[in-house]
Amino acid sequence: MKRGNRLGSRALMALVFLFLYAPIFLLIVFSFNKGNSNIVWTGFSLDWYKSLFQNRLIMRSVYTTLLVSLLATAIATVAGTFAAIGFYSLRRRSRTALNTVNSIPMMNADIVTGVAMCLFFVAFFTFWGDFSVWFNGVQHVVVLPERLTLGFGTLLIAHVTFNIPYVILSVGPKLRQMDKNLVDAAQDLGCTWMQAFWKVILPEIKPGIASGALTAFTMSVDDFIISYFTAGSSSSTLAMTIYGMTKKRVTPEINAVSTLLFVTVLALLVIVNLREARAERSGEERRPVSRKLTQMLDTPKGRVFRRGAALVLATSFLIAVILLTGATNAQPVVNVCSWGEYIDEDLITQFEEETGIIVNYQTAESNEALYSLLKSGAGDYDVIVPSDYMISQLIEEDMLAELDYSQIPNYGKISSRFKGLTYDPEERYTVPYAWGTVGIIYNTAMVEEPITSWSALFDDQYAGNVLMFRNSRDAMATALSYLGYSLNTTDEAELREAFQLLKDAKNRGVYQSFVMDEIFQKLEGGNAAIGVYYAGDYLTMLENNEDLAFVVPEEGSNWFMDAMCVLKDAPHFDEAQAWINFIASTEANLANMDYLWYASPNQEALEQYPAYYEELYEEELGQETFDIIAAPQEVLDRCEAYLVLPMETRRLYNDLWTELGI
Amino acid sequence: MSKELIRLRDLCMAYDDELVLDHLNLYINDKEFLTLLGPSGCGKSTTLRIIGGFTAPLSGDVLFDGVRINDVPPYKRQINTVFQKYALFPHLNVFENVAFGLRMQRRPDPSDPKRKTKLPEEEIRQRVLEMLEAVSLKGFENRRTDALSGGQQQRVAIARALVNRPKVLLLDEPLGALDLKLRKDMQIELKRIQQQVGITFIYVTHDQEEALTMSDTIVVMDKGSIQQIGTPEDIYNEPKNAFVADFIGESNIIDGVMVQDKLVQMYGRQFPCLDGGFTENEPVDVVIRPEDIDIVPVEQGQLTGTVTNVTFKGMQYDIIVDFRGFKWLIQTTDHSPVGARIGIKIDPDGIHVMKKSRYSGLYGDYSSFSDEYDELDAAEEGSDEA
Repeated sequence: MKRGNRLGSRALMALVFLFLYAPIFLLIVFSFNKGNSNIVWTGFSLDWYKSLFQNRLIMRSVYTTLLVSLLATAIATVAGTFAAIGFYSLRRRSRTALNTVNSIPMMNADIVTGVAMCLFFVAFFTFWGDFSVWFNGVQHVVVLPERLTLGFGTLLIAHVTFNIPYVILSVGPKLRQMDKNLVDAAQDLGCTWMQAFWKVILPEIKPGIASGALTAFTMSVDDFIISYFTAGSSSSTLAMTIYGMTKKRVTPEINAVSTLLFVTVLALLVIVNLREARAERSGEERRPVSRKLTQMLDTPKGRVFRRGAALVLATSFLIAVILLTGATNAQPVVNVCSWGEYIDEDLITQFEEETGIIVNYQTAESNEALYSLLKSGAGDYDVIVPSDYMISQLIEEDMLAELDYSQIPNYGKISSRFKGLTYDPEERYTVPYAWGTVGIIYNTAMVEEPITSWSALFDDQYAGNVLMFRNSRDAMATALSYLGYSLNTTDEAELREAFQLLKDAKNRGVYQSFVMDEIFQKLEGGNAAIGVYYAGDYLTMLENNEDLAFVVPEEGSNWFMDAMCVLKDAPHFDEAQAWINFIASTEANLANMDYLWYASPNQEALEQYPAYYEELYEEELGQETFDIIAAPQEVLDRCEAYLVLPMETRRLYNDLWTELGI
Repeated sequence: MSKELIRLRDLCMAYDDELVLDHLNLYINDKEFLTLLGPSGCGKSTTLRIIGGFTAPLSGDVLFDGVRINDVPPYKRQINTVFQKYALFPHLNVFENVAFGLRMQRRPDPSDPKRKTKLPEEEIRQRVLEMLEAVSLKGFENRRTDALSGGQQQRVAIARALVNRPKVLLLDEPLGALDLKLRKDMQIELKRIQQQVGITFIYVTHDQEEALTMSDTIVVMDKGSIQQIGTPEDIYNEPKNAFVADFIGESNIIDGVMVQDKLVQMYGRQFPCLDGGFTENEPVDVVIRPEDIDIVPVEQGQLTGTVTNVTFKGMQYDIIVDFRGFKWLIQTTDHSPVGARIGIKIDPDGIHVMKKSRYSGLYGDYSSFSDEYDELDAAEEGSDEA
């Protein structure tokens, strides 16, 4: 081979590895970053790891992940091993057919497996509900639970299911390599079939079982998609939690947990590969040390030791599992679904300590995603925190439970300004959680003069420097506001006019891109001059870039309210009310307001926040900043909340959005 | 030696609708060395597996000491097996392989006859070491089995079976994986062991020489049926049909007609022989062993033919002679050149007359003779045995 060629191929290989590993390397490096940026290195620290281990949500999901992975691995290993033996004893033709059937689930797209399992479980639960109602009606000896939900059980079943093929795949070849007369020989020498299995088959296929179990465990720890569809509202694996955390923005805490996950999976892979390499070497000389150990363990005393050790291990594993599952089952729970980074997590711990109720906290991506989760039957939550217009829709569809406000005394502390709003005029279903405004965020170093109007979003002088919302409702709202129309207009002419404005600006190249949470990176890094987003998020960006400014344009804007609701037929109604009351308290609202920088609807919290801030950070909270968090009434008066749109209008939004061609 | 130990009654067996055993009947005497001999697929291994209890027959009975044992599982039969390729346990060393059966054994507790107890470790140790010594493997106790040669593994397999003191030892082509020299040694060794322990050996092989060397009784099988049962001498000298004659040793098998007792006609010529009991002019198969033919000058010959091929074999020449298109194999110490016309002479005791059978006309012609012919055959048969 020519020298040049070889150099070229080496360079290519280096490039390939760079592409493969540079992102992971970057992630690992920034997990040790002192600051909270993923771009600017501000010094080495282990703070993110420390905060990771103090993060209740993450630690609980680590626990769930380990528990489900270990249990699923144990069950799948036993089941898969016996299945492999069953396959092995078949004729070759049926065996080949079954092996193909076995490999389909492994090749199948996870998303299909996940959705299919979710559908199956939900269908089964419906059937079970009807059956148990009938069964409990005709007899009273055994009372069957009438309501089954997605949860740890279904998650475990799903993991066992997708793990079994991997075990079969790695045990099968070991069986075929085995001398087929070995079992006969063992039986010939006095073993029953079961004894032959323990004394002869098992030692022969042990390496296959071990690597099958390791593969299964790795797959389980690693899985996101199938877990996402089968875990329901009460369980969350590590991968699911990480995903939930990234919805808002990637914090270095996520880097830290991802680094740990990467290292864990890497370690498992190394073990699997080492085992395989060793298996290839066996038949040759064994290493002296391991031979000596083998000999030691082969003496009668050694055998007793081995058996004892195995027994102790197995028993402690079993006890641990029983204790752990028992612990989670015995306590009352409440299943909450909210948005990513939308709560001060200390509140969850505090609530659990005060009430003994376990909070299963999950997050959804958007109101629309939450809606489809609820509709599919997969989102089996007690408390949800949808936005105003979605609440109207849920009430319309009779999906919410009426609250018993006598059990929520803190509701009285909600400012009367935020009670009886259009989505819940009779105050029957909701307790407000947080509110805020949408406005323009801009980089003062990159624009000539302060921005006050929506016109900036359609202005050629900022061409290529503007970031627009990547969802139809919010994007259209900017244009509608600019034109002076209602955000909830159903007039087709008005909507088409607003759309034309957006479309022309897009065609003239005003927009750099259409974004959601990517806006953080872009504005903080000075990659764009102007964007449109939520007031609370502006303050987060300000921490990383002091040049940023925020304005609620003079034409008016959208203001939103997210409120806590309880789903109809929620299995933990009382716990749900306790949670809502706790979150509605002034203390919780203060903590949340400080964490989110979204405004609290609690009157006391609103009044006390500046003092709270001062005490906490030992500096004064400027009136200007406070007004950005909690817009004064005259700003609110300019703004309009979203209402649920009629189907016809929603369809028009869809068509127009498609025409825009993002 | 004449006490009957095992009887197979009307055994039938089929795999995938293909008949493997066709109403097999056989009895086996105590302390006998009996060989099931036949080509691959003849049913000999299946018969062995049925005796061992690894396979259940479709119909028919297996009797052991007069008791039906069809439903007795292998681990309760007083029978042990030496498997093809030995089937030693790879995760155990030599000692533990041999001790395996003893560790499984339970016997009544002497102090409390209702309870069963394991054999004492000391007894196990003693019996294993004794057995290893008997198969010349003293000092190999702690070796891994995959570190042993083929012959040594073979002896471990035999020791592992015999240490249980079975009444019957089944051996399934145990020498198939060994090279020729080792095979010959092991044949003698096996016979010696059998005489030493004094139990019944049932031996399965496709190698006729092995069968002739070791057996008290040979059972020749083909297509699931027994073709002939007899001592090695009987089988060789008095084969019942063309299949047996061809399978055991070399044979020229010629169409003939029994003119009368002790007179058979071949090629239109009459040959005196020693056989009788046929009807007059009954068509028969005539077997003439290659070593029973004398080459004589053409004018003195009972038949004349042309030499077409000569192979030097050390002790003798293998000569192929064409008699009117039918080729004979003759083994002789005298050299005749290719193309020579020769006469032959056959003594009456060199002629064996058999009744016609379904095998007539299939065997005994050396038209396609070549040196490798038989070896190829043997290799093919050795390669797979169901």
